[in-house]
Amino acid sequence: MLLEAQNITKAFGSFTAVASASVTVEEGEILGLIGPNGAGKSTFFNCLTGDLPPTSGTVRLMGEDVTRASPEERARLGLARTFQLPQTFERMTVLENVMVGAFLRTPDAFEARERARAIVERVGMRAIAEAPARNLGTPGRKRLEIARALATEPKVLLLDEAMAGLNPAELHRAIELVREIHRSGVTLVIVEHIMEVIHSLARRVIVFHQGREIARGTPDEVTRHSAVIEAYLGKRGARAAKARPA
Amino acid sequence: MTKRLLFSAAAALIVIAYPLVFSSPFQQRLGALVLLYAIAASAWNIVGGYAGQVSVGHVVFFGCGAYAAMAVYQHFGLPPIAGVPLGIAVSVLIAAVIGVPTLRLSGHYFSMATIAVAELARLITTNVEFLGAAVGLSGPTVPRTVLDLSFTSALPYYYLFLAVLAGTLALTWRMERGRMGYYLRAIKDSERAARSLGAASGRYKLYAFMLSAALTSLAGALYAMMFGFIDPESGLGILISVKMLIMAALGGAGLLFGPLVGAAILVPLEEVSNNLLGGRGAGLTFVLYGAIITLIARFQPGGLLDLVRRRLPRRSVGSGHAA
Repeated sequence: MLLEAQNITKAFGSFTAVASASVTVEEGEILGLIGPNGAGKSTFFNCLTGDLPPTSGTVRLMGEDVTRASPEERARLGLARTFQLPQTFERMTVLENVMVGAFLRTPDAFEARERARAIVERVGMRAIAEAPARNLGTPGRKRLEIARALATEPKVLLLDEAMAGLNPAELHRAIELVREIHRSGVTLVIVEHIMEVIHSLARRVIVFHQGREIARGTPDEVTRHSAVIEAYLGKRGARAAKARPA
Repeated sequence: MTKRLLFSAAAALIVIAYPLVFSSPFQQRLGALVLLYAIAASAWNIVGGYAGQVSVGHVVFFGCGAYAAMAVYQHFGLPPIAGVPLGIAVSVLIAAVIGVPTLRLSGHYFSMATIAVAELARLITTNVEFLGAAVGLSGPTVPRTVLDLSFTSALPYYYLFLAVLAGTLALTWRMERGRMGYYLRAIKDSERAARSLGAASGRYKLYAFMLSAALTSLAGALYAMMFGFIDPESGLGILISVKMLIMAALGGAGLLFGPLVGAAILVPLEEVSNNLLGGRGAGLTFVLYGAIITLIARFQPGGLLDLVRRRLPRRSVGSGHAA
């Protein structure tokens, strides 16, 4: 078990954003987390990364209890993430952004630069390596998020809506990149709204609704699951969908 | 590349030759003061500029250095320079005590804590007989040996300060090009992202604060040696913190030479205004600083050097062996 969360509950005052959610991530898999807006995916995600302390429950990373560990400690153990709203280091170049990630595994600036260069090449950003990161548009920023995370040499990479806001061509390229990362031996957890992405990447999906897990299975299974259809379309929508001939 | 080298050589030559060309006592003293404040502002820049943690209480470290230098002379008859390690040790300790609880918090807690500690230090010092209370402490009036670093001319101070400034900038430059520099800049832009990439933000901000405190303390000791006297106002007055901050911001906070440029503009300006207005100038200095803060914030938040840099063809920081 690479990453395991047990009975994670996160409450903000009287509002429970995540209620007793559990997940185990096996080495080498791609796990999808889906659910409508406000389902608690991102909160759950942030409990996994250490950005938010869960109200109760435990998180284990490679067998080690990291429930109270800081994000930087988890990064050192091999967990990397991207942000839904890209957190680009605006005053750095693209390459320097990636160097910040590379510095986790080497204290030497020259070595970090070399490693960052290799990553930048790998994600196809070589031509703009020396450009200021603030000049990047959304697709570039999303890609840079992934490049930076890769530079930390993660065992498990958590992608938080890394493909939102991309056009079909960019989406295709992004999916190819994620596949390539997976082939290189990185385990992936992806939070995604776009079903096409989930279908083409994840073998296993967990569906959240109102802070709870309502279904799990293969992408095909969960999309046929009545509770899932109801969660996305509402009760009436679900009836209409059922009435429609397949 | 050769153009840059030529430019650097020319700048170095000007700085070295300045007190020989402008050799009146007033000009030499002015030059020495510019360098002294450049040291203090450069020290501030490490935590305030690079790490983006705005300390408004840096005078407490300045005061530690100044008081340590004078205290070892007054109480033990040692040359003031012997107080430097003591001043640095106390400063680093105070930095840790302020920094550990407040650097984790976002927002202005850190700035407020630094002001509080500095004002507290001033009030306590004013009432502690050992530190000269309200009267202050003096250094050796007549130099016993050269080790006392007590000179009538400002010329030796000028070169002493120049050497210390060069050391400070070299240290900052190394920091900027290394892991710590990258981490600090990343933390300044997005602490959350920096932490997700493994940068222990609390620890690095603390390192920056302690390094900054140590160098500020050194500046304080040099100040006390040059003036041979320190009291709560000249060693722990809030205006000194404000000066460091404004000089760095005016020249360019987070840029290596920003504080030096800021000091080279502000120190002469202040000397001139003091000379014109005499003793009544103190209040007006505050007005002047207020105006400068407003102008920087409104028109050039990156400082003057940032303006110059934007006009030159882009060259990334740390790409020395890249292009």
